[in-house]
Amino acid sequence: MTSAPLGGRHGAGRGGSIYDLGYRVYEGPRLGRRAAVAALLRHTLRTAYGLGRSARSKIMPVGLVLLATLPALLAVGVIVLFAQFAQSDAAAGAADALSPVRYSTIFPFTAVLVFLFSASQAPELFGRDQLANTLPLYFSRAISRSDYAVARMLGLLIALLVLVLAPQLILFIGRVLVASDVMTGLADELPQVPTALLVGFIIALLVGSLAAAIAALTPRRSYATVAIVAVFLIPNVFAAILVSLDIGLFGQLAVLLSPADVLDGVNAFLFDSRADNITVRRARLEGWTYLVAAAIWTAASLAVLLRRYQRLAA
Amino acid sequence: MSLVALEGLTKRYPGGVTALDGLTLTVEPGIVGLVGSNGAGKSTLIKILLGLLDASSGSAAVLNLDVATQGLAIRQLVGYMPEHDCLPGDISASDFVNHMARMSGLPSASARERTAEVLRHVGLFEERYRPMGGYSTGMKQRVKLAQALVHDPRLLLLDEPTNGLDPAGRDEMLDLIERTGTEFGIAIVMASHLLGEIERVCDYLVAIDAGRLLRAAALGTFTQHTGTLIVEVDERPDDLAARLQADGYVVRVDGSQVLVVIRGDATYDHVRDSVIDLDLALLRVEPRRASLEDLFRDAAPKEEAA
Repeated sequence: MTSAPLGGRHGAGRGGSIYDLGYRVYEGPRLGRRAAVAALLRHTLRTAYGLGRSARSKIMPVGLVLLATLPALLAVGVIVLFAQFAQSDAAAGAADALSPVRYSTIFPFTAVLVFLFSASQAPELFGRDQLANTLPLYFSRAISRSDYAVARMLGLLIALLVLVLAPQLILFIGRVLVASDVMTGLADELPQVPTALLVGFIIALLVGSLAAAIAALTPRRSYATVAIVAVFLIPNVFAAILVSLDIGLFGQLAVLLSPADVLDGVNAFLFDSRADNITVRRARLEGWTYLVAAAIWTAASLAVLLRRYQRLAA
Repeated sequence: MSLVALEGLTKRYPGGVTALDGLTLTVEPGIVGLVGSNGAGKSTLIKILLGLLDASSGSAAVLNLDVATQGLAIRQLVGYMPEHDCLPGDISASDFVNHMARMSGLPSASARERTAEVLRHVGLFEERYRPMGGYSTGMKQRVKLAQALVHDPRLLLLDEPTNGLDPAGRDEMLDLIERTGTEFGIAIVMASHLLGEIERVCDYLVAIDAGRLLRAAALGTFTQHTGTLIVEVDERPDDLAARLQADGYVVRVDGSQVLVVIRGDATYDHVRDSVIDLDLALLRVEPRRASLEDLFRDAAPKEEAA
C-alpha cells in the first residue's frame, strides 16, 4: 500500500483537473540553460556566505569579511579623530599621509584572510557535489559540464570580490566624508577607484581559480583546505630563501612561483607603491612580470578546473 | 515518434571492457523495462542516452534527437534517477528538489510550486523539511524520483529504482512508477536486474546481456505459448520419450517431464495413446508457457539471471 495520495485517478491524464492534489503537468515557462547557469551562480554565491544554511556555516565567511574590514575601519576612525582635533588641515593631512592603511596596503594587510576564505569556502563549492555524487544530477540537466564549472567559479569570484573590495569601499567612503567637502573628497579619491577595482579583480580571480582548481581535484574537504592554505603560504618561504641567496636571475624568478608574492607584486606595481613584501623588493623584477605571472597562474588554474569537470565520471 | 532508437551502438571503455556491443533497437513510448544481469550494460546505455557518456561507435536518438549533437535538448526533456546515492546529507529534500528544478530552468516561483507538488506525489510530507542525511533508503529513493520528475519531463530514465528497498518499499516504488507512467503519460525507461519488477510494471521489454541485445518486444509476447507440451508421468519418462521419438516427434526429457513439440491436435491423442500403451500414470499435460527467465537461461546458461 502506497502512502502517496492517489492523485490523478479517474482518467486525469496529461492536462488533468486543477483540484487534483497529485502530480500535475507543468505548462509554465522553461527558461533553459542561461537561467539554470544564473541560478547556479546565485546558489553558489549564497552558499559561499552560508545564506540559507545553518548559522554555523555563516561564521567563517562572514567573520572573515568583518575581520578584513577592521584595518579600514580603524584607519577611517583615526582620520575622523584627527580631522576633529587637529589644529589645521595641514596637520590632518600629515596624519593621513602617515596612516599605514591606504588603498595600496589593504591587500597586504588582509591577504591571509583572503586565502583563508578561499580555503574554507572553495572545498564547500567544488568538493561537496563530488563527495555526495550529486554531479550526475547536474550533468543530466540542460547545462554542460563547463557551464557548471563556470557558474561555480563565477560565484566564488564574486564572493571573493566582496571580501577584497569591502575594506576598500569603507576606506573610500570614510575618506570622502572626512574631506572638507564631499566634492573635493570625491575629486581626490575617485582617481584611485579604477586601480583598486582592477587590483581587487586580479586578486579575487587568481585566488579563486587556484583554490577552485585545488578543491575540484581534492574532493575531501579537510585535505582541500590544507592544500589551499599550503599553496598560498608555503611557496613564499622557498621563494624568500632562493631570492635572498642572490644567485642571479633564476633565484629572482623564484618569487613568481609563489602566488602570494605574485599578488603582492601586482598590488605594488598597479598602485605604483613600494611593496611591503621583502621577497618582492629583493627580487627586483620589473613590475609587469608580476602581471604576466598572475595571468599565467590564473589561466593554468582555470584550465585545470575546466578539464577536471570534463573528465569527472558521471 | 520513437522513444529511443539505437543503431549499432557500441561502448568500449579504455582498458578493453566492452559495455555495449552493436545494439540496434527502436522503442516506442510506454513503460520500457531494460533488463539484464549486473554488468550487462544497462547503466552505460542510460548514461549514453543522457549524453553523460559518449558512445564509441554507432548512434543513438532519444525522442528523435541525436544523442551526440543534441544532448542539451534531450536533457531538457528527460528526467534521470541514478542508481547510486546522490543526495547531499545536510540540506532538506524541499531545498534540494527546488534547487534541481531551478537547474532545469524553471522560474523560482514555479520551481517552488512544482517541488511541493512532486514531493507530495512521491509521498514525502513533513519529512521534506528535514536534512536528507537522516532519511531512510525508501525516502531517499523517493527524493531521487522527485528530482527527476520536478521539471515534468517527457521521458524518465530510472536506473535500478528499487535498489536497496525492502519488499514493502519496493512495492510502493513500483506502484509510483506505474502510476507516473500510465496516468501522466510520461514515458519511462526503467533498468532492473529483477525480472519480476519488469513484468509487473512494464509493457515493453528490452533484454540485454553482456552488452548485446537478447530480445526486445512487447511484454505479452514473452509469455505466449511456446508450442511445446509438458507431459509429466510417474515413472520411466525415457520410455515415453523414446516411443514418441519413434513416432517422429521432437522430444526432450527434463527430470520427470517430457517436453514434446506440438504438431497439431493429433499430438495430444498421440501422447495419451502412448502413455496408455506403456502403462504409465499420467500426472499432467499442459502447453508450456515461456517465462522471462527462459530468455536468460537459453542465452546465458551459466548466468543466474534473476
